[in-house]
Amino acid sequence: MTTAKIGAIGENDVMLIFKAVGVEVFPVENKQEASQILSKLAKEGYAVIFITESVALSIDADIKKYASKMLPSVVVVPGLKKRNNYALEKLRQSIIKAVGADVMKEK
Amino acid sequence: MILNVNATRMELQRIRKRLKIAVRGHKLLKDKQDELMRQMLSQINEVKEKRMEIESSFQAILQSFVLSQSELGRAQVEEALSLPTKKMSVDVETKTVMSVKMPVFKMAVSGNIISYGYLNTSGEMDVSLIEFDKLIVTLFTLAEMEKRVQLLADEIDKTRRRVNALEYKLIPNLQDTIKFITMKLAEMERSNLTRLMKVKDIVREH
Repeated sequence: MTTAKIGAIGENDVMLIFKAVGVEVFPVENKQEASQILSKLAKEGYAVIFITESVALSIDADIKKYASKMLPSVVVVPGLKKRNNYALEKLRQSIIKAVGADVMKEK
Repeated sequence: MILNVNATRMELQRIRKRLKIAVRGHKLLKDKQDELMRQMLSQINEVKEKRMEIESSFQAILQSFVLSQSELGRAQVEEALSLPTKKMSVDVETKTVMSVKMPVFKMAVSGNIISYGYLNTSGEMDVSLIEFDKLIVTLFTLAEMEKRVQLLADEIDKTRRRVNALEYKLIPNLQDTIKFITMKLAEMERSNLTRLMKVKDIVREH
């Protein structure tokens, strides 16, 4: 058992609320910054990384790298911008990959 | 397709052994695939519901938080939250399900969510923070569950490839090769026999 840190990446406004609960926050403004910080956090052994939806969408390729690893667990949370259902889409993709059919469609 | 081997008895024996192992491995992997699939299907709906539930409540909290932020002014809020007393870390344990390693998160929390005096901040902010404090626990369960589904999907994909490789490639190839070698050996046997008979005939004539 190891103790690991928790991080959050996203827009400054959303980061404040994470800061209040004691998560280490990394406000970012553009794509490069976000992907740099993500790889840095993964390297430093953060176990859970929260990312806001709009940021996650821009660094999709970087997030995919960590999908098949046990750690870190990247959790996408909705931000203040327009919703894009990033997380559900990811879930659907992994199901299609595994089952070969979209079993989530019916609902 | 016939494997590139010599048509000998020894080779035949070796390939028969390989076929036996391949068939057994195929059966085991197929069972593994079925079980993984079952595990995954049982979790999909749960994860999906949890995700939707969390997203809507998180968004509501975030909205009220940002509203209070705009009410108070950014600088004020940043100042209030500049030194959070709450500390949060997570203990990671691993659990193995069907040879897939999965993380289990245990939260370690200390301190109080309200790290500021009530004088300069609004009630909405306090409420949204307290609500978020409750929500964050479920966020970790969600993190765990989503990771689990992802890892399972990955493993299912891998297993399926293996099963298919065995079923459609290796096993038929081995069977073809066995057939080829037995035929070849039988043919050699026959040609040997006729040759002997022929030789005997020639010997008798003299």
